[in-house]
Amino acid sequence: MTVELLVNGERVEVEASPQTPLLYVLRNDLALNGPKYGCGLGECGACAVLVADRAVRSCAVPLSALKGRPVTTLEGLGTRERPHPVQSAFIARNAAQCGYCLNGMIIATVALLRRTNNPSESEIREALRHHLCRCGTHLEILDAVRAAARAGSPDETHRDHP
Amino acid sequence: MKQPREKPISAYLGDADMLTVTRVSDTGREELFVAIGADGKVRAFNGHVDLGTGIRTALAQIVAEELDVPFQAVEMVLGATEAAPNQGPTIASETIQVTAIPLRQAAATARAHLVRLAAEQLDCVPDDLLVEDGVVRPRAESNRFARYGDLIAGRGIRLRLDAGAALKASSAYRVVGRAQPRIDLPEKATGAFTYVHDVRLPGMLHGRVIRPPYAGFDHGPHVGASLAGVDEGSVADVPGLVCVVTIGDFVGVVATREENAILAMQKLKVTWRDIPAIPDLNRPEEAIRDNPATPRKLADRGDVERALKGVGDIMNRSYVWPFQMHGSIGPSCAVADWRPDGLTVWSGTQNPFPMRSDLSRLMDMPEDLIVVERLEAAGCYGRNCADDVTADAALLSRAAGKPVRVQLTREQEHGWEPKGAGQVIDVRGGLDLEGGPAAYEFETRYPSNLAPTLPLILTGKIPPVAGVAQMGDRTAIPPYAYANMRVTVHDMPPIARASWFRGVSAMPNSFAHESFIDELATAAGVDPIEYRLRYLHDPRAVDLVRAVAERANWQPHTGPFSHGGDGDILYGRGFAYAVYVHGTFPGTAAAWSAWVADVAVNRKTGEIAVTRVVCGQDTGQVVNPDGVRHQIHGNVIQSTSRVLKEEVNFSADAVQSLEWGAYPILRFPEVPQVDVLMVPRPDEPPLGAGESASVPSAAAITNAIFDATGVRFRELPLTPERVRAALNPLPPAPTQEKPKFARRRVAGPLVGAFAGALALGAAVLPWRAPIAPVERPASDMFSAAAIERGRLAAAAGACNVCHIGNDGLAFAGGRALETPFGVVHAPNITPHPEAGIGAWSYPAFERAMRQGVSRDGSHLYPAHPYTSFAKASESDLQALYAYLMQQPASPRKVPQTELRFPFNVRPLMAGWNALYLSSSPVPKDASRGAAWNRGAELVEGLGHCSACHSERNILGAEVKGDRHLGGGYADGWHAPALTALSASPVGWTEDAFYDYLRKGRAADHGPAAGPMAHVVESLAPLPDSDIRAMATYLASLNDKPATDPRSASAGAIEAASAAEPAARMRFPVGARLFEGACASCHNDTAPVASLALNSNVHTETPDNLIQTILHGIPEPVGEREEVMAMPAFGASLSHQAIAELSDYMRARFAPQKPDWADTAGTVRRLATK
Repeated sequence: MTVELLVNGERVEVEASPQTPLLYVLRNDLALNGPKYGCGLGECGACAVLVADRAVRSCAVPLSALKGRPVTTLEGLGTRERPHPVQSAFIARNAAQCGYCLNGMIIATVALLRRTNNPSESEIREALRHHLCRCGTHLEILDAVRAAARAGSPDETHRDHP
Repeated sequence: MKQPREKPISAYLGDADMLTVTRVSDTGREELFVAIGADGKVRAFNGHVDLGTGIRTALAQIVAEELDVPFQAVEMVLGATEAAPNQGPTIASETIQVTAIPLRQAAATARAHLVRLAAEQLDCVPDDLLVEDGVVRPRAESNRFARYGDLIAGRGIRLRLDAGAALKASSAYRVVGRAQPRIDLPEKATGAFTYVHDVRLPGMLHGRVIRPPYAGFDHGPHVGASLAGVDEGSVADVPGLVCVVTIGDFVGVVATREENAILAMQKLKVTWRDIPAIPDLNRPEEAIRDNPATPRKLADRGDVERALKGVGDIMNRSYVWPFQMHGSIGPSCAVADWRPDGLTVWSGTQNPFPMRSDLSRLMDMPEDLIVVERLEAAGCYGRNCADDVTADAALLSRAAGKPVRVQLTREQEHGWEPKGAGQVIDVRGGLDLEGGPAAYEFETRYPSNLAPTLPLILTGKIPPVAGVAQMGDRTAIPPYAYANMRVTVHDMPPIARASWFRGVSAMPNSFAHESFIDELATAAGVDPIEYRLRYLHDPRAVDLVRAVAERANWQPHTGPFSHGGDGDILYGRGFAYAVYVHGTFPGTAAAWSAWVADVAVNRKTGEIAVTRVVCGQDTGQVVNPDGVRHQIHGNVIQSTSRVLKEEVNFSADAVQSLEWGAYPILRFPEVPQVDVLMVPRPDEPPLGAGESASVPSAAAITNAIFDATGVRFRELPLTPERVRAALNPLPPAPTQEKPKFARRRVAGPLVGAFAGALALGAAVLPWRAPIAPVERPASDMFSAAAIERGRLAAAAGACNVCHIGNDGLAFAGGRALETPFGVVHAPNITPHPEAGIGAWSYPAFERAMRQGVSRDGSHLYPAHPYTSFAKASESDLQALYAYLMQQPASPRKVPQTELRFPFNVRPLMAGWNALYLSSSPVPKDASRGAAWNRGAELVEGLGHCSACHSERNILGAEVKGDRHLGGGYADGWHAPALTALSASPVGWTEDAFYDYLRKGRAADHGPAAGPMAHVVESLAPLPDSDIRAMATYLASLNDKPATDPRSASAGAIEAASAAEPAARMRFPVGARLFEGACASCHNDTAPVASLALNSNVHTETPDNLIQTILHGIPEPVGEREEVMAMPAFGASLSHQAIAELSDYMRARFAPQKPDWADTAGTVRRLATK
């Protein structure tokens, strides 16, 4: 059946069963490759997207849950030419090795900074606690989050879109 | 579409605007290393690939440096078989150290040639020229110059690599040795990068594989020969299914959409033969010692036996390393496009060329028809399932005749990735009279790690025979000058499927070397670093050790407890040093590494935190300091994780750790501070930096724990249980303080009748008179108002929870309902004259509803809750009849219900109705108001809540009196008490009941799941007033809460949080499972209600909790604050794990309640249903 979604500020329609996890539709129907399949169990965070201002795991979000709720993916935050401040911070701090978990790290950071202006070290670590990194890039990632928090730049994504 | 394809070598060689530098390989193949275009852009080629380490950036730096072009002008092509040279697998940290050498020479060859051309053009000698950013000009002037691109244009320059080409002096470096940001990050951080997971071809299909039950084991006669059958009919209804593929033990499915391929994978019925048991690898020492081995002597110096004779106290020590996982964050994925005349694969392989030859064998296709496009994947730290999944994709593409993308699941990657092998090391030695090491006898046992590409053995292309490799010898020779030394490696076949994993056997071998010398130092009464330095003669090693000790401000000490403690927390500091030696023995050394680790140990709980690591490394010349620092950080964090937490868990026949709860890795809150020291060696050759810093980890940490506690740990990982057992042994068999509940006696193996099954129990009860059939009533016989009222009655009665057709058609029946009496099939109640109730008159319908007697006079089994319907109003039943008669008729007959002994014996069941069918009316109480009375009618009548929420006696009748609505069972779920008997920590109020029935969740109780979720869905058409009425009535059955719900709920949450440490102590495995598998959603900040309030952890039995873990809540009903569904963990967690998790959750979230009696048995029962 046709399901209507609001992704990165655009209304889109996809033909899929309402039980389909959002992740597969983002990747296969909308060619949004930022969110990655990591576990399908909501454990690792590689597939994170923002629903409104909250970071959720798109592998565990059925399309039917999204009625009217705006979805923002890594692509919706910024582009290579005009990256989001959090993306810039991660790039500047070399905060990835293989980069497979990077999507979730950036999404979780954006969500954290939207709810907390000036997070403490333990708030940062807690916010990333359920995002797994196997390369051991944690130190660079923490550095990037701290830098993004310090910069406190305006967040100019589609958060206020209908 | 993302369809990356590398240009083949021939395209470069045939381009007149291109300079190329090639070399002819040993096999006669012309291999390209550097190509420079007329636009000045440089492409450089390396057979090694970027596994996420940033090698792409470092290699580009080397080329840019040697060519004198801007860094941005260089693009690296890595691993693609059509373009890159064959330099073997990307292993042993040798990309910079080994495979970059010809690359550098090729760049130097090109530069020298271009400078010569420029000299001719500018009419001067090459020595007078300099090159900057690809522009050649005389040193003395700046207005005459020649660009590389212009020198190349139209000339088609073909150069042979000159291994003797003059290389730049490091003093002249401008790019190498400077921090260079990673090339790939801007794209990776914005979602623009193409990983292998992101490849999409036109017409591409999606495949999934179904692996055999012997997960993680790849040898033995059953491998490739265990498939008993595949029932393709089981997936016939999967939309867009293209094919099911079976070859030996290889099973795969292909569908047009990915979610449907997943569905087919989950639904396909595959039968496997019994498989043999495996050695108990949860105790790897015994299994590895028992594995047949061939000793290979690596060193024999002095006279060990004679030296040991002079030792008073011989130290015999054994060190045990567990099986561990690479644990790529992204399960492997590949795309294959098979055609009769060739195969192209897009792969994340570590080994493009060896894999191509495996594909050639698997597909019976010559290698030169196979193209491997190598794309980046998730980091792998050794060999994961990347090659396996590429072969899977090739097989499925051939079967489907179209390009197919195959994504392994998390469970498949965890289960089947070739593991890092366990290892056992024995050391024998002791002190001589002067306190020096008298002798050192070292024996190491390492199961082999060759792991053939899986589909080759699953399909039977190659025999499932265990090969033996000689890889246990990495860093087996200690770095210390022991005068009397014997080193032996025991080569042995694999046990579990294994491959090389970061540090390979060097990491466990160094664990033994560095623990033992630490112990010698303590025995000799000498500071551990000073003791090492006495026997360490490699000057670069000595420099490094001194530098690291100084950076860490090491305070010499001769025994443990040098750092004191604070209450239960003990502090300690340890040292270890290693050089990682890789390759065929005696091997090649990569970078030197040394650690000082600081730890904090909780002596009560056994928990260990590594708080700080000073890690020094001598990498020789450093190409990209940021890259090397990155590798050191990564190695420190990953190896700390391995040492503290990681071990693969096995069942009796397979790998059992299939997700991150069962295989925990280090998380952000646990990450230590890391201080990196890089020894500057710009004039020494660059060394591999990918693994070295992992190697000293285990000994540094255990030596620090010895400093903190005085106890030596020689087996990993250092789980709290292991540490606690040594530091703080618990009293034997602690007496259970809390009373254990016996499972409450319920009829049969629980599982009561659930809502509304019109079960035909004809065989079990005496016959009554039939009522004559009638014509199906005409459609205009009923008023629209009656039909609408009937619709609501059907909603209130939740008829379709049971009577929904297997095909989704309302009222069509067929669902199999498990009851204590056997399986009951809900009949078809559509108005079909034969298959349904079309021939039933209203009196026949009413008799069935109120008395449980079918039209033909046979008795209905009380799964059909006629005892409740007896209380429904006449007008509701008439309306329901009208409504049902308007439904589409389904001709499908449902299977006959077959009840089991004794319920199929008529005399036993005679008189059931006389005993239990009460025609007592719905309670009425004028003083309670209209809402209460309406609610009573709905709850006790049509709503038939008691059918599930009341216990049943041995004959299946609802228990009355105080226990009416006092909790029962339905379809494998516990239906909690709706009365004051409720076990919930927060009392049920009218508002809570209303929220639950209307919105599918109540703030202080959790969401509706299982059968109740369907009931909530069914109730949706009812007006608010009816829901409110039910809530009013139900609330009246409960005591008025003593405290207000808010503070009761806050109290329960607080109690759970206070109970966490004790629960973690009692159920450490369950605690880790919860942290890894549950806590990402079930945490304090999530909008889902705290589990401390969830009825399922408070009820007397664990059934509902276990059901929810097994099956998840795929689509939560009602109003959703939480958009995430609860995934099913039944295929991801072992039965044992679910039991441990449940026990932990009970202890943590319902701390006042007694332990559940038999969680393991309940899991088995519910999981095998």
